[in-house]
Amino acid sequence: MTLIHVPRPPKSAMDPNRPVNALLRAQMEHMQDAELKLPVRQQTNIYINAIKTEGEAGEYIRRVTEAINQAHDAAARKRGRPGSKKRGVIDIAAAADDKSPKRRSRAAARKKAKTKLSKKAKTKKSAAKGGRKA
Amino acid sequence: MPPGLNNLRHIVVLMMENRSFDHMLGGLTATHPKIDGITPGLSNPDTSPAQNRVPAQPLADFQGQLEPDPDHHFPAVDLQIFGGDTSPNRVASMQGFVKSYFNQRRDLKHSQKIMYYFPPEKLPVLTTLATEFAVFNRWFASIPGPTICNRAFAHYGTSFGRVDMNLLYVNEPFKSIYNRLISARPKRTAKLYYYDTTSSTMEITNLLQHQPELFGTYPQFLSDCRKGTLPDYSFVEPNYNDHDTDSGEEIANDQHPDHDVQAGELYIASVYNAIKQNPDLWQSTALLIVYDEHGGIYDHVVPPACTPDKFTASANATGTGMPFAFDRLGVRVPAILVSPWIPKGTVVDRVFDHASIPATITKFFLGDYSPRSPRETSADIFIEAKTATVDPARNLLSLDKIRTDCPDFDV
Repeated sequence: MTLIHVPRPPKSAMDPNRPVNALLRAQMEHMQDAELKLPVRQQTNIYINAIKTEGEAGEYIRRVTEAINQAHDAAARKRGRPGSKKRGVIDIAAAADDKSPKRRSRAAARKKAKTKLSKKAKTKKSAAKGGRKA
Repeated sequence: MPPGLNNLRHIVVLMMENRSFDHMLGGLTATHPKIDGITPGLSNPDTSPAQNRVPAQPLADFQGQLEPDPDHHFPAVDLQIFGGDTSPNRVASMQGFVKSYFNQRRDLKHSQKIMYYFPPEKLPVLTTLATEFAVFNRWFASIPGPTICNRAFAHYGTSFGRVDMNLLYVNEPFKSIYNRLISARPKRTAKLYYYDTTSSTMEITNLLQHQPELFGTYPQFLSDCRKGTLPDYSFVEPNYNDHDTDSGEEIANDQHPDHDVQAGELYIASVYNAIKQNPDLWQSTALLIVYDEHGGIYDHVVPPACTPDKFTASANATGTGMPFAFDRLGVRVPAILVSPWIPKGTVVDRVFDHASIPATITKFFLGDYSPRSPRETSADIFIEAKTATVDPARNLLSLDKIRTDCPDFDV
């Protein structure tokens, strides 16, 4: 069986600082169109017109591709949870916008405050009924 | 039923970037006369007042020569094919390549490089595959224009009326070949493998953002080959940009100018090796290596007319002042079909374009199917369907016994 040797390119052939070509420019524009449909939190906030090199283009492309994958994974996970059949389409799509730990704890704190407030209001109401002060 | 077809379970398509047939394989004609490549006398006029003839020469280099990237958008390709003739009854001449490249840098000497081609010994992988398996003398880009539209023909059998690189929305009930397969009953399997997330795919607008589950990475392709879990149909994309990763440098290997052509040779060899190194996969897989378009680089064969698609690109959209009815193919590109059931030195003269890809996959795995675009339904197929009678004149996987003399690449 013939073994054909395949030469490797020189190290100098690689250049992440090479200017972006028209194909990569178009790919970034298509990526940006997809990115803008992602939940705001998952968008890159990268201004693609400022991208000049292949290395920069690759980084942008990577981030958007991974964000798309993550958004779909999150939605699929939510769809697969027990009891998720009752959830509406909006809820499943919102699963793609998973809250950060900081926002989760803020949400929990707001819920706690709401519960405390409504308990206080209930106590005031029953005290008013029974002539007692809260 | 020929054993090659009977054994066939997987079809893999690897689509590279932006090189013409004459540029990559034209040098083979000298030793393999059935291959329709470079012959003495092929030339283009330059832009000097005397319009000196610039011959095709075996001086192509791996990198650093085609800078700027030769223009391959619709108006430039129109110039390349028609030589600047815009009259109503114009005839294609393939005489506008040097003129077109001159427009980009206004350098007379530099513009001649568009006529350069590779001597075969510089491309050991492509040369070996073309001479060991089946090379297509008449595989053309689907439209005389750029990448996104041409790749669309490979995915959908149409570009939905687009001839440019802008966002391309599917607006007709023509499903991608992947969706046809995974929706079939019984279900078939399909995957697009991109190199990695930094390179990603060119098919973003309709497929990646809606169905990322259709995609895998090149390492997954290699793993699927090793494990024998390759899907029925695989579409493999190269690395479109130079980038660093945690495991080292990843050089662009798509061969799009000005990326290094040798890097692409290594990539093609590694796809071939991955399939061949699993004996079960090797005897049940056909690999098509094809280029999406000619990249603005010289080829001598006039693209033929074809069945019009149901779309028309307006005069504004084409940028030439003339509408386009998708009734003419793009410039010729290298295309090679690899299988151990193909006789050595096969040369195919029938006409194909990228619509032949979904046409072939559909016919082979699904049989009759609609709706499909007019371009796809009229496209020739490169692998015959598994039917009781197979036309021996058309079947490329024609050997009665599997070859044991196929080469290996040392990568």
